[in-house]
Amino acid sequence: MAAACERLFRRSALVRVAWRGRCFSSSGYRTDSDGKPAKFQPPPKPVIVDKQKLQEERRFLSPEFIPPRGRKDPFKYYMERKDMIQRRKVFNIPEFYVGSILAVTTADPYANNKTNRFVGICIQRGGKGLGATFVLRNVIEGQGVEIRYELYNPRIQSIEVLKLEKRLDDNLMYLRDALPEYSTFDMNMKPVSRLAHEEIPVNKLQVRMKPKPWSKRWERPQFNIKGIKFELPEEKMKEAQKWSKPWLEFDMLREYDTSKIEEKIWKEVSEELKK
Amino acid sequence: MLTPELPATPAPEPAPEPSSRGRAEAFKRRTSWRRKPELGLGGGMAGWALLGRLGGRLWAAAPGSPLRAAAAGALGVRGQLGLIVRHIDSATWWHEHLSEENVEFLRKSAAEECRAQTASKLCPLKDEPWPVNEWKPDSIRVGVIAVKLGMMPIWTKSGKKHAVTLLKVQDCHVLRYISKEESGKKTSQLIVGGKNASPFSKSEAAMEIFKEAGVPRKQKISVFNVTDDALVKPGTPLYAAHFRPGQFVDVTARTIGKGFQGVMKRWGFKGQPASHGQTKTHRRPGAISTNKAAKVYRGKKMPGKMGNIYRTSLGLKVWRINTKHDIIYVNGSVPGHTNCLVKVRDSKLPTCKDHNKNPPFPTFFADGDEQLPEDLYDEEVFQFKDPSVTYA
Repeated sequence: MAAACERLFRRSALVRVAWRGRCFSSSGYRTDSDGKPAKFQPPPKPVIVDKQKLQEERRFLSPEFIPPRGRKDPFKYYMERKDMIQRRKVFNIPEFYVGSILAVTTADPYANNKTNRFVGICIQRGGKGLGATFVLRNVIEGQGVEIRYELYNPRIQSIEVLKLEKRLDDNLMYLRDALPEYSTFDMNMKPVSRLAHEEIPVNKLQVRMKPKPWSKRWERPQFNIKGIKFELPEEKMKEAQKWSKPWLEFDMLREYDTSKIEEKIWKEVSEELKK
Repeated sequence: MLTPELPATPAPEPAPEPSSRGRAEAFKRRTSWRRKPELGLGGGMAGWALLGRLGGRLWAAAPGSPLRAAAAGALGVRGQLGLIVRHIDSATWWHEHLSEENVEFLRKSAAEECRAQTASKLCPLKDEPWPVNEWKPDSIRVGVIAVKLGMMPIWTKSGKKHAVTLLKVQDCHVLRYISKEESGKKTSQLIVGGKNASPFSKSEAAMEIFKEAGVPRKQKISVFNVTDDALVKPGTPLYAAHFRPGQFVDVTARTIGKGFQGVMKRWGFKGQPASHGQTKTHRRPGAISTNKAAKVYRGKKMPGKMGNIYRTSLGLKVWRINTKHDIIYVNGSVPGHTNCLVKVRDSKLPTCKDHNKNPPFPTFFADGDEQLPEDLYDEEVFQFKDPSVTYA
């Protein structure tokens, strides 16, 4: 009972803060422009604003909002975006990156208490639009486990970010071939606190690999991996460079500049989410 | 479109180049005749063009003439450029006969006309409608023509994921009614068109059907067999709300063309082993008949052109309808490539009949009494404004 009361109180406090914030930003208290003094209104209550928050906020747009390049009608992505925003209004999908440690709770009809919680490191984010996914990896009792979650699946009860950080690469699939200690995380891990305005830290850890053979030849330039401490002989590393394609970076047809689209979509999404 | 006027080089080229340059010059001369903006639609235009063309021919055909040599010296650079900027568009009737302003005017007026025509058809119920009948179990309604936008996932309230295809009903109008006697078929027919297109690239005869119905030209026309109680007056717009969530539809479209394919891809033959003494026989069909038959039966599965034919997906469930943007969310995949035009109609499968009862009949009228919310969902569909799915 006490716990419930406390929760209620907390929620009401939250609401009050939000309401106050809106008051602060609205221009309803100004006098009319035609000179006549409007009816007296008491000045708004002073609001204490966290100065650190006022510092330029980091803009973050989840990568699945950016449409892939192709011949599909942009309107189709707009329709998907509407649903994504609708889901984000009810359900908190936090900001996270490949390399962050997450805890995901899902509804599971076969589990004991009908929910299932899994903690792991995000090793991949995939898909665009409503079908976007992410993969969590952990080693449980010496056995590597990977689960691919759909970001907008209504069966997901909560997504918790335990440790928000980036790694040197955008895809950590090589953790499958790395020593298990690099993808082992405690299931009862406590969230690491950090300040909201801080820059996202980059973990410059370089992992050590199991002996070859690996699932992929990670030393080859096509993967362009920085997060592996290669302990291969010199000539092997040299040989891998035979597969480098240095001309690709000059291929203008491969360029896909999303900055303008990103700007537009960010505006659209943030406006919709504020409503 | 015009070749840029470069300053003539002061030093004339010593040797006039091969005849291709001469031809380019001739072409440029011809085009410069045509490009004069003040030459409009006038009847004398053809004469001028002919003269210009004749002059061009003479120009090109006289390699030794001193006049040409001098000109080649002065305009050599321009001739080359003229070759580069040549474009296929310069060969059309429009470019020969219309000035830029005329083209712009025509485009603008056509767009305006199209908008006016669409707006005039928005209230079909006030505009001398044809009699509206009650729905009966044996009546067959008209269908719509929609644009395939792409696919996306959808979840049910039980947490199951389905793939749906988004079909957008865009500028869909009934164009013509063909009675049983006229068509000679068992049922009467309605011709329906979807997605507006440019009116300029069609002949007068082909445009007649649109003029009769008083609607803009359509990119795709299709015939629907309907019963006599489900007739809709030509010119009536059709919307996505013609279908309702929970019902089943058949979708017809032209499949993606795969070109000439072998039997393994086209018919799913097994092929032959990769090794054990096989020579040049890995993906081949093997025997195509027997000694006794001594002929190849008709319809034998053989290599050939694959795809690019009409196919129908039967019995696809409608999960959701967006009435604002006119989108039908249809279960599963649909034939055809993205942005192709597909034909959607009530499913003819006997198993789906129970779900297709009491539809908007003969179609959904936007100016009718029925007020619809923006999104219509099947009762099983999870709506994103609800909280997450839990299992008790």
